[in-house]
Amino acid sequence: MTDRTPRGPYPPTEEMLAEPVPEEIQRAQSERLRKVWQTKTGIRYLMSVNNSEVGKWYSLTCLAFMLVAGVLALLMRVQLAYPQMQFLDADRFNQFFTMHGSAMMFLFAVPLFEAMAILILPAFLGARDMPFPRLSAFGYWSFLIGGIFVLGSVFFDAAPKSGWFMYPPLATEDEGVGSDIWLLGLSFIEIASIAAAVELIVGVLKCRPPGMRVNMMPLYAWYVLVVGGMILFAFPPLIAGDLLFELERALDWPFFDHTRGGDPIFWQHLFWIFGHPEVYIVFLPSIAIAAMVVPTVAQRPIVGYSWIVLSAVGTGFLSFGLWVHHMFTTGLPLISLGFFSAASEAVVIPTGIQIFAFLATLMVGRVTISLPLLWIAGGLAIFTAGGLTGVMLAIAPFDWQVHDTYFVVAHLHYTLFGGMILPVMAGVYYFFPFFTKRMLSKRLGKWAFWLIFGGFNLTFLPMHLTGLLGMPRRVFTYPGDLGWNTLNLISTVGAFIIAMGFLIFTYDLLRPGKPRLSSRNPWRAGTLEWSDTKTGEDWGVRSIPYITSRYPLWDQPKLVERMDAGRYYLPDAPEGLRETMVTSVIDAKPVQVQRVTGDAWITLWAAGFTGGCFILPTFHLYVPAVISGAFAVVCILYWLWTSTARKPEKPMKDAGLGLSLPTYSAGPESVGWWAMWITMLGDSTAFASIVFGFFFYWTSRADFLPEGAAHADAALLALSVMALALAWALTYAARHLNRAGRIAACRAALIAAPLLAVAGGGVMVLSVMQLAPSSHVYPAVVCALVIWTVAHVAVGVVMQLYCLAGSAFGKIDPDHDADLWNVTLYWHFHVLTVLVTAAIIGLAPRLL
Amino acid sequence: MSHQDQDEFRDESVSLWRIAFAPTVWAFHFLLCYAGGAVWCAKFGAAQGVGFLRISVLGLTVLALALIVWQGWRSARQWEPHDASATDLHRPESRHRFLGHAAFLLSIISGVGVIYVALPALFITSCR
Repeated sequence: MTDRTPRGPYPPTEEMLAEPVPEEIQRAQSERLRKVWQTKTGIRYLMSVNNSEVGKWYSLTCLAFMLVAGVLALLMRVQLAYPQMQFLDADRFNQFFTMHGSAMMFLFAVPLFEAMAILILPAFLGARDMPFPRLSAFGYWSFLIGGIFVLGSVFFDAAPKSGWFMYPPLATEDEGVGSDIWLLGLSFIEIASIAAAVELIVGVLKCRPPGMRVNMMPLYAWYVLVVGGMILFAFPPLIAGDLLFELERALDWPFFDHTRGGDPIFWQHLFWIFGHPEVYIVFLPSIAIAAMVVPTVAQRPIVGYSWIVLSAVGTGFLSFGLWVHHMFTTGLPLISLGFFSAASEAVVIPTGIQIFAFLATLMVGRVTISLPLLWIAGGLAIFTAGGLTGVMLAIAPFDWQVHDTYFVVAHLHYTLFGGMILPVMAGVYYFFPFFTKRMLSKRLGKWAFWLIFGGFNLTFLPMHLTGLLGMPRRVFTYPGDLGWNTLNLISTVGAFIIAMGFLIFTYDLLRPGKPRLSSRNPWRAGTLEWSDTKTGEDWGVRSIPYITSRYPLWDQPKLVERMDAGRYYLPDAPEGLRETMVTSVIDAKPVQVQRVTGDAWITLWAAGFTGGCFILPTFHLYVPAVISGAFAVVCILYWLWTSTARKPEKPMKDAGLGLSLPTYSAGPESVGWWAMWITMLGDSTAFASIVFGFFFYWTSRADFLPEGAAHADAALLALSVMALALAWALTYAARHLNRAGRIAACRAALIAAPLLAVAGGGVMVLSVMQLAPSSHVYPAVVCALVIWTVAHVAVGVVMQLYCLAGSAFGKIDPDHDADLWNVTLYWHFHVLTVLVTAAIIGLAPRLL
Repeated sequence: MSHQDQDEFRDESVSLWRIAFAPTVWAFHFLLCYAGGAVWCAKFGAAQGVGFLRISVLGLTVLALALIVWQGWRSARQWEPHDASATDLHRPESRHRFLGHAAFLLSIISGVGVIYVALPALFITSCR
């Protein structure tokens, strides 16, 4: 084993930092760095994977989708302006409100969090890039393809039309491809979101600059960490739900069909276990922008840093205890409603704390009125109003009165505009000079703000009353004698005023000739992203600084000068490779120089084929879908093989300031292992959701286990578990054998393990062959669990063979075994899946 | 490289998990109350009433609060609010105390959350 302990002095002393770097060395270093990080031009620009390019594309795509969804809203408001309007028919109106909600949530709010985080997080952390740039690019292209597919359906009169939550039986029984487009298109995008979450969590934990301990992270990073964690627990239940839903649509397995033992309420649970945390998933990162803007406009550090961390973490947890408040009218026992009502009230406390912390910072600071502050202030005002109606709605009896009325529409738009759109607008105005090196117009900004703020209140304030007067949501028209006419007309006028505001904003954003930046830090902020030069460079930071403060630009006077001079870490790229620094989780001590992946076409190919795999089944083209999926796998394997966990040309390299760091790491030291761990956590959540389904049906349906039902074959099941457990043990053994230098034994284990795994998976399928999943929900749920497990066997086998090939072709040796570590970790999770599946389908039916 | 931080404090990855401990207790308490209530009302509620369920919620609540109070006490000691010796953020003491402070505040919020969630069981007397 090579000794890979970091060597050399750390932390750097003041004398080391004060020593100047000779001019010609500085020049040569910058030249090499610039060349390595240079963004390609022409058509090859599309190959870019750098966070700044991907982040810009991502944000602009979100904006485009938002504008389309906004136009849908305007058309709906035209239809509702007067009673008995004939502008849109009922069917088109249904498509429009479904797409408005789905697009605003899945194609704008959530992806915009990912977009902005990819764009600005590395700069906050003084990192050159995210740890997995190609993964970001892959996520972006997936999002673009899926988004165009889903949103495009509205132009072909084929859009989903059962509401953005797709309740069965309306959605399952819906004829046409609308529901399938929603399910498959959005599943694809959800997977892209999870990819982004993995990237962002690892980015926050492992790519901070040296010295930036957890108590010094910019608050934005704390929020990203919390939200990334939330995505891992919130999105997978919906992915599991989508799988079951599509099995019902395509194969008639009756998960949500009441007549064959299913239960439509189960979908509602899965949807809202996702859906409510999702509200906080879009709210927290936006309020995180406020946490960055407020100290700058107040020109002082944030008040109550720990309190805001408490607030972010606390909200993250509590937001998972609220989902049933969307289901207060479904007839659950009152005591269950009580638990959720109580949690819904409790979440107000941490949410409120952060707002008070912001207000306190503004009160004790020297506030300069600026555009970002204007948007933040407007956002807080609107959000508070939405929060107050939220407290009302959390009380079940009140909710029963206004459920499915315009009161709820008003409430949710108040929370989302106040909690998401306005703070994000503040962020756009605030960060625009950072990522384009130009300023947005103050005058146009004020116009946009007042039109949007005023128009918003004009649209949605009257809706509280419209709702209290009894107007239901999602009706395409209404009779003229119910007292709703004037209120609706006011709302329509307001909607067009909002639209004018957005028009002005978009014009300002896209118009050429905006003034260039006159100083590199136009807001006089204290955080690292403003250390970038006036014209901007593709390398992110010239050298990665050593940090001793939460606001380094305020507290470390010579920081920027030394960064520019290349005095700090990784000031050079002598090997011509893109590199960033990996540090320890708690104290951010340098542990590794990470070589990150560079520009490539392969990510586009991979995204294109993955898209085909999800989109083609919509049209029942299953064979082309499978072929497309196979190509996607090949592309991803090629990408992994050629550019991840590669053997470095030398085990250690000089990282600057006399510090020598390893260039390779495996296991818990490496970013790849963390990514696998985090991915599998999300994967397990999806699996747990299907398991939850089994017990849900058991409690909700007395006939869940029909008399004399066929069960999975116990003997075959036991055999399959043994084979898979052995495959796991051999994979684990292979890692140890490889490290011990027993290469032949390691390869033998890696040959036997996939064979056993394939046999085990096959036998597991055989054990349920006699079940008829379309006859009743019990066999359907058993088969769904088997499908899940066997699909994971297949992935596990590919991984084992990848390692075998790695060992055979010299990618893996006793000293370089990152892939084996990651694959073993996958199998740890997988063997648990196998055991749980076997217990549920083999033991539980015989015991319950 | 210097290992002075480790000398002063062992690696605190455990501490990072510790700040999530109290909210996790809340989550389990919540989940058990909800799942217990759902199963009880579906399977036994009609025949046996909710007496057992309410007692169970009480028991779970006492247990959860005990764990949270213990955690709060431990993290308050780690926080050391009256010790003003470590004001420099970049010193290990500061990070150590920050994690204590965050864990302490989260214990309070989790405690409040647990009490809130237990309240319905105090008032609701049927499975209706």
